Amino acid sequence: MIDLFAWLILGLPLLAAAAITLFTLPDAAKSARLSIGAVLLAFLGSLILWARDATGEPAVTWLALGTGTGGLQIELGLKLDPLSRLMLLVVTGVGSAIHIYSWGYLHADRNRGRYFAGLSLFTFAMLGIVLANNFLMLFIFWELVGVSSYLLIGFWFARPAAAEAAKKAFLTNRLGDFGFLLGIILVWAALGTLSFTELEARLADDPAALGAAASVAGLLIFCGAMGKSAQFPLHVWLPDAMEGPTPVSALIHAATMVAAGVYMLCRVFFVLAVPGSVALELIAWIGGVTALLAALLAVQQNDIKRILAYSTLSQLGYMVLAVGVSGASRDPSVAMYHLTTHAGFKALLFLGAGSVIHALHHEQDIWKMGGLSRRLPITFWTFLLATLALCGVPPLSGFYSKDAILARTLESGHHGLFALATLVAALTTFYMFRLVFVAFTGPAKSQAADHARESPPVMTLPLLALAVPSVLAGFWGIHRVYGAQYGAEPAAAGSWAQQLVEPFAHAPLAAGAGLAAALMGWLGAWAWYRAALQDPLPARFATVARWLRDRLYFDELYERLIGWTQESLARLADGVDRWVIMGVAVKGTHGTFELLGRLLRLAQTGNLQTYAFVLVAGVALLLFLVMAR
Amino acid sequence: MSVGLTHYLVVSLLLFCLGLFGVLVRRNLLVMFMSLELMLNAANLALVAFARYHHNLSGQIMVFFIITVAAAEVAVGLALIVALYRQRRTAHVEDLASLRL
Amino acid sequence: MQSLSFIILCPLLAAGLIALVPRNYQVVFRSLALLSTLLSLLGAIRIFAGFDTGSAALQFEEQVAWVDSLGISYHVAVDGINVGLILMGAVVAFAAVCVSREITARQKEYYLLLLLMAGGILGAFASYDLFFFYFFHELALVPTFILIGVWGRGEQRNYATFKITLYLSLGALVALVGLIALYLEAGHQTFNLWSLARQLEADPIDPARQRYLFPLLLFGFGILVSLWPFHTWAPLGYAAAPTAVAMLHAGVLKKFGLYGLIRVAVPLLPAGVQSWAEVLAWLCLGNILYCSLVAMRQKDLNLLLGNSSVAHVGFAFLGIASLTLLGLTGAVVVMVAHGFLAALTFALSGYVRQQTGTVNLDHMGGLLERLPFIGGVLVMAFLAGCGLPGFANFPGEALVLFGAWQGYPGVAILAAWGALILAAVYMLRAVRVLLHGPLPERWGKVADAPHLWHKLPYGLLLAALLLFGCWPRLLTDKIQPCVADIVRRAEAPPANSAAGLARIALPPAAAPALARPGATDGLTASRHPR
Repeated sequence: MIDLFAWLILGLPLLAAAAITLFTLPDAAKSARLSIGAVLLAFLGSLILWARDATGEPAVTWLALGTGTGGLQIELGLKLDPLSRLMLLVVTGVGSAIHIYSWGYLHADRNRGRYFAGLSLFTFAMLGIVLANNFLMLFIFWELVGVSSYLLIGFWFARPAAAEAAKKAFLTNRLGDFGFLLGIILVWAALGTLSFTELEARLADDPAALGAAASVAGLLIFCGAMGKSAQFPLHVWLPDAMEGPTPVSALIHAATMVAAGVYMLCRVFFVLAVPGSVALELIAWIGGVTALLAALLAVQQNDIKRILAYSTLSQLGYMVLAVGVSGASRDPSVAMYHLTTHAGFKALLFLGAGSVIHALHHEQDIWKMGGLSRRLPITFWTFLLATLALCGVPPLSGFYSKDAILARTLESGHHGLFALATLVAALTTFYMFRLVFVAFTGPAKSQAADHARESPPVMTLPLLALAVPSVLAGFWGIHRVYGAQYGAEPAAAGSWAQQLVEPFAHAPLAAGAGLAAALMGWLGAWAWYRAALQDPLPARFATVARWLRDRLYFDELYERLIGWTQESLARLADGVDRWVIMGVAVKGTHGTFELLGRLLRLAQTGNLQTYAFVLVAGVALLLFLVMAR
Repeated sequence: MSVGLTHYLVVSLLLFCLGLFGVLVRRNLLVMFMSLELMLNAANLALVAFARYHHNLSGQIMVFFIITVAAAEVAVGLALIVALYRQRRTAHVEDLASLRL
Repeated sequence: MQSLSFIILCPLLAAGLIALVPRNYQVVFRSLALLSTLLSLLGAIRIFAGFDTGSAALQFEEQVAWVDSLGISYHVAVDGINVGLILMGAVVAFAAVCVSREITARQKEYYLLLLLMAGGILGAFASYDLFFFYFFHELALVPTFILIGVWGRGEQRNYATFKITLYLSLGALVALVGLIALYLEAGHQTFNLWSLARQLEADPIDPARQRYLFPLLLFGFGILVSLWPFHTWAPLGYAAAPTAVAMLHAGVLKKFGLYGLIRVAVPLLPAGVQSWAEVLAWLCLGNILYCSLVAMRQKDLNLLLGNSSVAHVGFAFLGIASLTLLGLTGAVVVMVAHGFLAALTFALSGYVRQQTGTVNLDHMGGLLERLPFIGGVLVMAFLAGCGLPGFANFPGEALVLFGAWQGYPGVAILAAWGALILAAVYMLRAVRVLLHGPLPERWGKVADAPHLWHKLPYGLLLAALLLFGCWPRLLTDKIQPCVADIVRRAEAPPANSAAGLARIALPPAAAPALARPGATDGLTASRHPR
């Protein structure tokens, strides 16, 4: 029965996507019903699995070639354990809210059928990643998630910016997938199996089984996470991905797809944490650098979705950092904790931004908003709540998860990273409240802002629904659930009051530092942006501000790099093809034969007497040769 | 002096070479044709000489065949030359080089 | 209907019938062609479904002796390797005839030649006799000359026609020399593959000789499959060919060389394969990387697709060069998958050309707006070309990469780069330029495929890609026993006769066969087409 539910959870969104594509594309209402129905049923199924504490690994064989080493046995299997159960709830829960919200957000669009098909395909692929029980299946769904992201970012494909952004996202993801596949092959070549359960058992028995390739394999596998979770240096696609509709940004580029990288790292943590591997160190530093870089870039962005995108990047950096510093404790559950709480409040932030954009008729520049706190009350209060959660203000969920990360960083002795993380916390509060102050407070800075009206219930209800976990998730003991996955001792759940101050009791320095940083960031934002009608920073720090606004020129650098390498190689290959192979070899052969023909043709004079002479001479020669023997 | 086989063969050779020279050098088609006949007759002479001196009649039988074939060839060849002359108004072999590539 | 001869003869007989029908009954030609290819397709599906998975023996066998003194017989059978290829050939042939709606001039000759091609291809894949193997291939190849020359498109078509014909004839010539040399060296007076295989296993050809024989077959068959650097005929030829011919050629006929390598060269010349495998592995990088890079620079959609098709067959070569179970199985899967993919992409580009009159990417844009179905299928086909899971290319390419890793890790890494990154670059660039972006004024009147019949060929090919992509065991379970046998042979050191005879492995399903005149050994298990 449990197995059936698990298969249904995975399969219903796929069936919905197929049904919509084949049958109901022109009919938006039917398509929406199919899609929303599928994800709600999946949510229900996830709740049932959660309630039953389901475990198990139902599977069908997908490919079976050879036996023993050198053979490849790939299953399409579902791994049910605490990690996947909770992640299922996150994905289907947030997904349901966003599916419902989309119906309202896109009410004027003709192509809603295609949108919901893409959304269902994405849900199917994401659930596949969550439930995958072996590396290759994970890779398959990894790619499928990438392609549904491509289809959804490029939903408004007639806009060149959207088409370019979709292409960029897919290609950058593919770069990560390249490393990922190589890592998978390395693991398979060393250990002969790709199933997570078997790999974990094998590495527990014999930690040196991966041999010298352990660090390389770990880093290559991390490449996949780099691509999917937009870590530096593959971070360039995420801000551009905001060209897609806002619910897509909320679902894919905030809550779920980008989190898949972190989820994967936690899933295969046993490969990364092999003793003697330097993978985790590098992972931690890349996470830290990403967090800082993104936070700096967010400070000078003016598009509400871009700010949130960079914020997501920064938080993802936090999560990756958390994975990286968990080597000693062998328990990356702090990363998953933050992933879960982040999914809630970041989706809320995006949906709130969507509500604002919708109310202002697709205006996205924060300097054209203002005074929205009075006109869009529900949106404003939920947005503020989510912002406070993001900045790590107790007793909201973000505080607990961020503090857990800071505490773990300090515990594992990574003082440099701790300082980095605290700085990032300050910057986070700074740019988020810059956004809140400019967009929601003060006078209305444009006509559209003046005439804004609150969004319809189909959009505000999901906002309220998502506000609940943003507030309460800190008290639900999520970290204990995740900890159980990694064999941590289940600490006794205290009373609510104990829960409230637990971080201060457990790691006062980390909690205090986090709060102090948040306060400083808030003060900075309050001082500069409280009543600002235009951005004061460029006036003060012109060059730096310009660099930050132009995203530190990474896009231009990459374009130049690609131009030097790939484009010139392509030009070289084309030149060789045209001039060497076709020109010299083929046309050369043709020319040689033609030349030979022309030479031989000289003997055909058309003159009868020449022919007769040659005939006679030939006969004489033959006779001579024969008789001279 | 006694006339032996060699004398006949030499005459035959001379006739053959005269004919060959005519074919290769003369430019009028009819003269080329006559030279060709001369070559054939040279061969006939050689065959008859061999037949006489080796007392083997096969040579003379061969000559009969050759004469017959020569006659047929002359008939066909002259017809062709006449037809060609009617087309091209010339019997000059250098004007008939249209099969040049 | 469950008979290989039925599948092969349907198109050939229909071609004969078409030759007899007077020219003015135009509707008859197309109907006959559709009917005969449909019947072949149904027969191929029945054989595929009725195939006994897990057995390495020949099934659906038919053999008729022809020239006993030379050992030539008409011998057709299926085993795991060619059952998928025959199905693919039949599907593509049917789709190609469906797509030929656009041909209006000289329909009689066109359908006659097309059916000859179809029959030849199916016969080539089914043949177990070297002579008929080659014969059917030439039967399929010669009509391409006429088809491209008369019904071709573009200003370059004359040049392309002659280039493709001469190049492929050269390849076929080299291969023929190799095949005859093989026949003579084997010394057993038989052209029959099954008996040759068994006899050569017991008594192999001298390894030094094999090292000279194998490159003849390698390069002969290789030219037929556009092995780098003998590939320049392919993009040009496909750009100039009419749509159906491009589909049949790129999709199916090209696989003949690969099939020849797997069926003939690798099992019968193991020492030769071992010495030349490395050369092949590095040459196939030329296909994968070089042709992908060239594809990135193309402005003509058909040239891009042609180069892409050359790049994809590089994977099959890599799989063959790896000489492992995974690699060779992957190679066969790539062959089947690429057949469907090439056919689909050329069919779609043919549709676009028909609607817009051009295939120059610089002039296109925003077509997805006007062509939702065709555009959607085009996007899916391009994504399949990047090796997206869910489509049949992914399992094939993944297996090849896994298989090649042990022997050639460097090549595998570069091949993965080519498959994942380079392919994505030019495919997505094509989608961006062709389908996305604003719609220019001049394409406002472009129309999508109107009803179901028009959509059928594209849907059929796409469905096949999806089916084998989601359920690759349909293919791999069948391929595995045969490939395991080939790998075992290729890895074995050359044995002397006595030891070799003792090592002949009998297929587990062997049963004493009925005595047939001029038959081979009595150890083949077969199904009689009753």
